[in-house]
Amino acid sequence: MIEQQEIEEYNYSVFEGKEDFTGFRTLLQVGSPAPDFPATLLETGETVKLSDYWHKQDVVIEFGSHT
Amino acid sequence: MLEPMAREYKPQGFEFLFVYTREAHPGERYGSHRSMEQKLAHAQAFKKRGQVERPILVDDLLGTGHKMYGTLPNMTYIIGRSGRVLFRSDWTDPSTIELVLNYLLNVRARRRAGERLAGFYAEFMGYRNVDPVKFQQGLEVAGPQAVEDFARTMQRWTSQGKPPSRLEG
Repeated sequence: MIEQQEIEEYNYSVFEGKEDFTGFRTLLQVGSPAPDFPATLLETGETVKLSDYWHKQDVVIEFGSHT
Repeated sequence: MLEPMAREYKPQGFEFLFVYTREAHPGERYGSHRSMEQKLAHAQAFKKRGQVERPILVDDLLGTGHKMYGTLPNMTYIIGRSGRVLFRSDWTDPSTIELVLNYLLNVRARRRAGERLAGFYAEFMGYRNVDPVKFQQGLEVAGPQAVEDFARTMQRWTSQGKPPSRLEG
């Protein structure tokens, strides 16, 4: 129940421009360890970790969506 | 969109990834995600429309990864092999990334040449191209609701005296 609410809150259905650009500046500084998280690799459907990629090479990560 | 950048700099020793987040401007055609199946389908459509060759990592429905990195709609991060954050920006701009990658290539060359280097902290103001027409077209892909919602937000910002730099494009 609570998770469903969280999902609906994160995945807003109406854009309101409430992103926190100011908070971004201090959230995670350069020089800090990059947080790791699991994700679904679209090409294969398997679960990968972000850190799988930075172990071998410097990684350029773009965050975004279709819209 | 860093696809052309990826093509040019991958051979020079950089990995490029795209992390798929929540829909920034949900509309009738591409609504807010209510299931992983839907999110994966949207990511697939994005891959096709943008001819994206970079690996696409789809974040979970709660936005776990997205939130760790700042929850903004189009950020770029560069992470070094040590697992340290080397660069971060609150919007994505190809020419800025090109500048940083060339900087990092230069750092690698200096190290190879035996120069001793120490990391330090710096910030700079970035400038990105704003194309309102292209942006509107992007909203239309999502659906009429996305167009309306953005127009309403723009009106609110304008009446609040929001600086033009906040305007998306």
